[in-house]
Amino acid sequence: TGYAQKISLTERNVTIEQVFKEIKKQSQYDFFYDLEMLQETKPVNISVKNASIENVLEKCFEGQPITYVIEQNTIVVKRKPKGAQSLTSAAIIPVNVSGRVVDEKGAGLPGVSVRVKGTSAATSTDIEGRFRINVQDANASLVFTFIGYGTKEIPLRGQSSLSVQMQPEQKALEEVVVVGYGTQRRSSVVGAVDQVTSAAIEGRPSVNTTQALQGVSPNLVVQQRNSEPGAGMNLNVRGISTMGNNSPLVVIDGIVGGDINLLNPQDIETVSVLKDAGSAAIYGSRASNGVVLVTTKKGKKNMKPTVNYNGLAGVNDPKMFFKPVSAYENAILRNESRANSGLGSVVYTPEQIRTFKEQGDNEWFVDAITQSAWQQNHNLSVTGGSETSTYMVSVGYTDQASNFVGPSKGLRRYNYRMNLTHEYGRLKFTSVLAYTKSDIRDHASSTGTLMVDAARVPLNYRLKDDEGRYLTNDVLQEFNPLGVLEKGGFRKYDNDNIFGSLTAELKLTSFLKLKGVFGGSQYSNSQFERVMKVNYFPAGVSGADYNVNDESRKLRDLNTQFLAQFTKTFNKSHDVDVLVGVSNENHEERGIKLQRRNTDPELGTPVTETIINEAETKNSNQGSGQNSLNSLFGRASYSFDNKYYAEFNFRYDGSSKFRKGYRWGFFPAGSVGYRLTEENFMQNYRDKVGDLKLRASYGIVGNQNVGNFQYQTTFFTFGPAYGFNNEEVSATGFNFANPDLRWERAATFNIGADFSFFKNALTYSFDYFNKITKDILVKPQVPGVFGTTLPDFNAGKVRNQGWEMALSYRHAGRVLRHTVSLNVGDTKNKVLYFEGTENLPRVDELRYLQMTGFPYRSYVGYKRDGYFQNIDEVSAGAKPSGLLVQPGDNRYVDANGDGVIDDDDLFVFGNPFPRLTFGTSYNVGFKGFDLNVFFQGVGKRTMMLRGELVEPFHVNYGRTMYEHQLDYWTPQNPDARYPRLADDGSASNTNNFKRGSDLYLYSGAYLRLKNVQVGYTLPQAVSKKLGMQKLRAYLSGQNLFTWSAVKFVDPELTEFDSSLKNSGGNSGRAYPTLVYYGFGLDVTF
Amino acid sequence: CKDLELAPEDQFTDLTYWNSPAKAQSMLNTAYSQIYSTDHFFYDEAMSDNAYSRTDASGSNSIATGAYDASLARLKDEWTDHYRGIKSCNLLLSNIDRVPDMDEALKTRMKAEARVLRAFQYFQLMTWFGDVPLFEKDITIEESRSIQRSPRAEVLAFILKELDESVSGLPTNTALSEAERGRITKGAAIALKARVLLYESRWADVVSTCELLINNTNNGSYSLFPSYEGLFLPQNEYNSEVILDVQFVPLTRTWGTFFDLAPISAGARLNAMAPTQELVNSYRMLNGKLPGESGSGYVESNPYNNRDPRLTYTVVYHGYTWKKPNGSTQTIYIKPGSDPNAAKLDEYAPGSSKTATGYYLRKYFDPTHTTSLGSGLNLILIRYADVLLMYAEAKNELAKLDEATWNQTIKALRSRAGFTDAGALNYNSSWSQGDLKEIIRNERRVELAMEGLRIFDIRRWKIAETVLNGWVHGAQFGPANEDGGYIRAGQRSFDKNKHYLWPVPREERSINPNLSQNPGWN
Repeated sequence: TGYAQKISLTERNVTIEQVFKEIKKQSQYDFFYDLEMLQETKPVNISVKNASIENVLEKCFEGQPITYVIEQNTIVVKRKPKGAQSLTSAAIIPVNVSGRVVDEKGAGLPGVSVRVKGTSAATSTDIEGRFRINVQDANASLVFTFIGYGTKEIPLRGQSSLSVQMQPEQKALEEVVVVGYGTQRRSSVVGAVDQVTSAAIEGRPSVNTTQALQGVSPNLVVQQRNSEPGAGMNLNVRGISTMGNNSPLVVIDGIVGGDINLLNPQDIETVSVLKDAGSAAIYGSRASNGVVLVTTKKGKKNMKPTVNYNGLAGVNDPKMFFKPVSAYENAILRNESRANSGLGSVVYTPEQIRTFKEQGDNEWFVDAITQSAWQQNHNLSVTGGSETSTYMVSVGYTDQASNFVGPSKGLRRYNYRMNLTHEYGRLKFTSVLAYTKSDIRDHASSTGTLMVDAARVPLNYRLKDDEGRYLTNDVLQEFNPLGVLEKGGFRKYDNDNIFGSLTAELKLTSFLKLKGVFGGSQYSNSQFERVMKVNYFPAGVSGADYNVNDESRKLRDLNTQFLAQFTKTFNKSHDVDVLVGVSNENHEERGIKLQRRNTDPELGTPVTETIINEAETKNSNQGSGQNSLNSLFGRASYSFDNKYYAEFNFRYDGSSKFRKGYRWGFFPAGSVGYRLTEENFMQNYRDKVGDLKLRASYGIVGNQNVGNFQYQTTFFTFGPAYGFNNEEVSATGFNFANPDLRWERAATFNIGADFSFFKNALTYSFDYFNKITKDILVKPQVPGVFGTTLPDFNAGKVRNQGWEMALSYRHAGRVLRHTVSLNVGDTKNKVLYFEGTENLPRVDELRYLQMTGFPYRSYVGYKRDGYFQNIDEVSAGAKPSGLLVQPGDNRYVDANGDGVIDDDDLFVFGNPFPRLTFGTSYNVGFKGFDLNVFFQGVGKRTMMLRGELVEPFHVNYGRTMYEHQLDYWTPQNPDARYPRLADDGSASNTNNFKRGSDLYLYSGAYLRLKNVQVGYTLPQAVSKKLGMQKLRAYLSGQNLFTWSAVKFVDPELTEFDSSLKNSGGNSGRAYPTLVYYGFGLDVTF
Repeated sequence: CKDLELAPEDQFTDLTYWNSPAKAQSMLNTAYSQIYSTDHFFYDEAMSDNAYSRTDASGSNSIATGAYDASLARLKDEWTDHYRGIKSCNLLLSNIDRVPDMDEALKTRMKAEARVLRAFQYFQLMTWFGDVPLFEKDITIEESRSIQRSPRAEVLAFILKELDESVSGLPTNTALSEAERGRITKGAAIALKARVLLYESRWADVVSTCELLINNTNNGSYSLFPSYEGLFLPQNEYNSEVILDVQFVPLTRTWGTFFDLAPISAGARLNAMAPTQELVNSYRMLNGKLPGESGSGYVESNPYNNRDPRLTYTVVYHGYTWKKPNGSTQTIYIKPGSDPNAAKLDEYAPGSSKTATGYYLRKYFDPTHTTSLGSGLNLILIRYADVLLMYAEAKNELAKLDEATWNQTIKALRSRAGFTDAGALNYNSSWSQGDLKEIIRNERRVELAMEGLRIFDIRRWKIAETVLNGWVHGAQFGPANEDGGYIRAGQRSFDKNKHYLWPVPREERSINPNLSQNPGWN
């Protein structure tokens, strides 16, 4: 008949419909069938080569309840004649099916979802694994699904009693892992790739995705800089390998340039972390800090609309770790400090001290300006799909109120997302569209100032008097934080983001696919600030200028990609996959800024006295920037027998950030993998123990994290810079450049192994890496004599080594279901070269080091050697020059033994980047109940604390001591934690606190009970009666307990920002840590 | 897709920038804007015996107490700030000839302005550090990492040569159009040269240089402004006494140091620096005698009565009648327990954030200030009174101070200050050269008090080890058993073997190993 075409097909476990499509592609045949009919078919396994159409059709209709007729070039599919079916059954006869579902050990599995295929009829198993369901068609199939187990589909063929055994999912091997520009099966991944699925982040009251990722993947280090709503967080993969920005490249749904923190965490399907060069090199020049690939949820084909709601509502309680001493005690301590400084007059008279004691303490200002605040997260999504298209639409709302008193403040974020796919023959379109609005309402001051101002006032002062006037005092002379928070105006951030992409995929042949992607992100951010005047009593005023500030900024990232992918298996055992692509990514931004002073007090509008603050005003050409990156990239992977793997990734990037001649860079990487347990001689091991895969990769990735146009020396005018005759004049500034600026390159070696034991119940993976980054883009040291600063040069080299491991174990007992996971990672870096050999910038009292041979930005200072205990020790000991120290003052190690403590006696201490970071979770289920406990922490970190937290009465700004400071030196307490008290300006104080020493360094190690969830899932029988497929209610708590070496601060707060800029030690300026208690609901309709 | 060859929208490249005289002027403006740090102008006083800084503003207390080393941030700031200024001048000087169609006279003048500004920067560097790297053209980053310090004498010679060569290209102050007020003039270059020579004790040269401005109108016209108080008020900016000043613009380019210097009740938030009792003691009685002298009429319980009127225009003391911007007055209560108002804003209290000495600052308080005591008042770097004082000092060092010179200098200053008593005004032929030296030095101290110059004077006179040792005091509000009841504000120490030169900043030496260190600092 008709056409003599040869067909080659290799498909496993696919629907028959898919096979039809494949045949259609390879031949001229068309299919004619009824969809309903196909739903009764079972999955097809087929492997044919150059077979005739009849041959192929015979194979796939084998054992199916349907048959076919070839008419011309159309294949008509029809039901098999009744007689051909099982003899015991009558056609379309309802049947009441019952049965039991057991796990791999034969124990009853409760809560397994049982669904009649192609219908909405469903139930779930009871506590013993038993179920009963009415099936309209005795020839239908039942689908059994349970989390952690492979889905099982059983055709009834008229049976009314079933016994089903489910097997744990071969998750570690069969999981689809998102990699650069594609996906791979876990079994064939040979790079160091970690994938986090939505399950790991659900139920936690995370306000953003970065927060949700804390502790879920080894060496994916997430650090909080501040707990305030809307505050930035640090995201880092595998520690410090460069001297500037160490943030990974974030790619959302294949598009570079999205903001991970604008995503609704509930929309996330998977997060892949590409850690080694082998997996990341396809992102070439921006991959040296690792790549984080986020994919969002999509609908499924032939899926009825499913509506899911989940919501969380709770309270954030502000927690302060340090506390002031009572007012009278503080007064005594101040007098002691002053007396120790050789000053005769007291600060507080005995009468005053008695009065403080009699009157008792006032409320600490910190407690007075903070309060508990609500947090809500709501998310509603609809997911579904037809034969040719799928959809996922979601809306999300996050509302985290600020813990400050006064007019309502906080973060509100609105998310909308629509992910669609549609197939049209060989063409597949995917459209992703997401809109995020984020609104932050803030006070018009600085949180650090408000907090420290509140914290440093002793308890004998009040914020407000009985007449309602805001009070100033000798500590807060200008204004007080309550006045600023209640009446001082506001700052409002209103940010819109549209993220979208359109993908067209054309399947040319069974082995060749073409793909075009166009997408990007558009940001429109604005900030509006109004500062209001507040008068204080008896003196002081804030906001007297009635500043009105406006700033708005538009940013656009566009990304165009064309890809071709060739996938073919040769001789059944040679799998070849080749991907080649070209792309352009470009970024454009511009913004304007206007600041007016002396505006109308009520409306903030211009009046006669109003002036424009020229220095703060910018037109959009002044706030513009653009850059562009052209790339050619690809991946070739080969595997033999699913046993040996080899992969090559590369990218060839040209960037506008470098001049012609230095513009293009080539970034290759190679990986190999070996599944040892696939060898015949390992069969015994494979059957009895589990799988083992070995992996190794080596490659070079780059970094172009420098400002635009840095290779050109530029001149710019700015004003007003000076004046003549009381008239402003503008002036010229300049940016000197290094025209030879070029790519930073990181050579990374990685080896790893993946193990599984007990039929995948226990999986373990381990990776070690060694990375050497050279030509690091860093601002070189510039002698003052040069007269200006310089932009980034290729001026450094860093080695970063580390390891990480992840372990997970699942056990389903007769009563309890357990899941345990643990991940640990550690990194260690060393500066191998830094141009100019040494840089010791100050960070408050201490310094940090950029120097060959030491970890990047290690702290440097004097090393304490106890205290001078008596006058003899003072006179004999080495002291800083010019300081008349006393017994009870710090004694420092005189490293060079010259009798003087000076710059030649500096020691290098630890560094503030966390090491031995870990996360561990334990999940236990009992009937409908579940308990999730998640711990996270840091094993080693040198944390700098300073200011009031360390120095009593800090520089005379701080006027109260805190409880933890009471362990200070006295002759009776010679081994105290802190030196003796002495006033600012005295030699003792200068010696003890102004000469930076390890007094300011503390251990930042901690273990934190980050999240606890206790949930209950209603039995499906009950929830169905209520019209729901699933209902889970739970209680969730965040930051509940912290075990740490230092009790008086939150050890999680870091002094590094994401560019590893050290903003100085925690000095009591941090927003309180939030302890969350809330209630959550998860409903599927 | 976007091209890879992109250009910034708001910046010129080196090739496109130097295309008009306005662009050259704009670069010159940059150099002007770097002429002097406001904070250093004020807080340098606290390095001397004139003032005390409780907060160690600009490192002043660390330096005054001798408790510093090469890592002190102020040292690096001082070093870096001046080389920044030098770079702006060098960029202008090496590129201005590229500007097409530029008027030669204008070009010559702008070059002269830049050279004077550059000389001023080198002068300050040399004064603090001694030997410093000296270069006349913009240097490369590589050169900056290996350059050596030039001997102080070479730097000095360069400064003097630059000033000499610039004078002819500069206009006189009388030739300056109104719109150009604030620019470098012939007079400014000459007066600066006089100061450089003064710091070298080249007395004969000081005399001859000062004479280019005294009784000589070839280089401009200068005279004492009739009112000492008015000299520092905004309505009298650009008066005949001003030779060189840092320019500010009311409302838009302002400085705010007074927020931490004025009495709290006058709108300050706290006090960062306060005049010392030692400064107050140096003001004479109206009869010309110092408080300690016999027959002075000084009464310890009423210490501010019948004093040099300049005291009142400089220092705020207990019972001070403070003139408010609106013309009314208020009394400043500083003595503990004296303020009838419960808030006691200005009262001295040990360990408080208010004055540490019992005094506040008045000179340069701007009645037209904006919020937070912001001011557009110009800060005078060189004024004619200084020229007169330099002249008198040099004449006396040459033993040539006669009555005519006295009348022309010290008497003129005292009359202008408001002295009328003959004992204060008239020359006394019985004074020895040594007596006169003390008188002139003291006159210089009070006339120029709180104008940032005292620290340079005590260093060049080599009296720092005397005046910067032991307790520095405040008013008589302390415990009676200590120093006669005068507040012990802080203790000071000066090592004459090392402190007369600052150390080269540590970081500079670690980047550039060719930089040597000053004696005593290794």
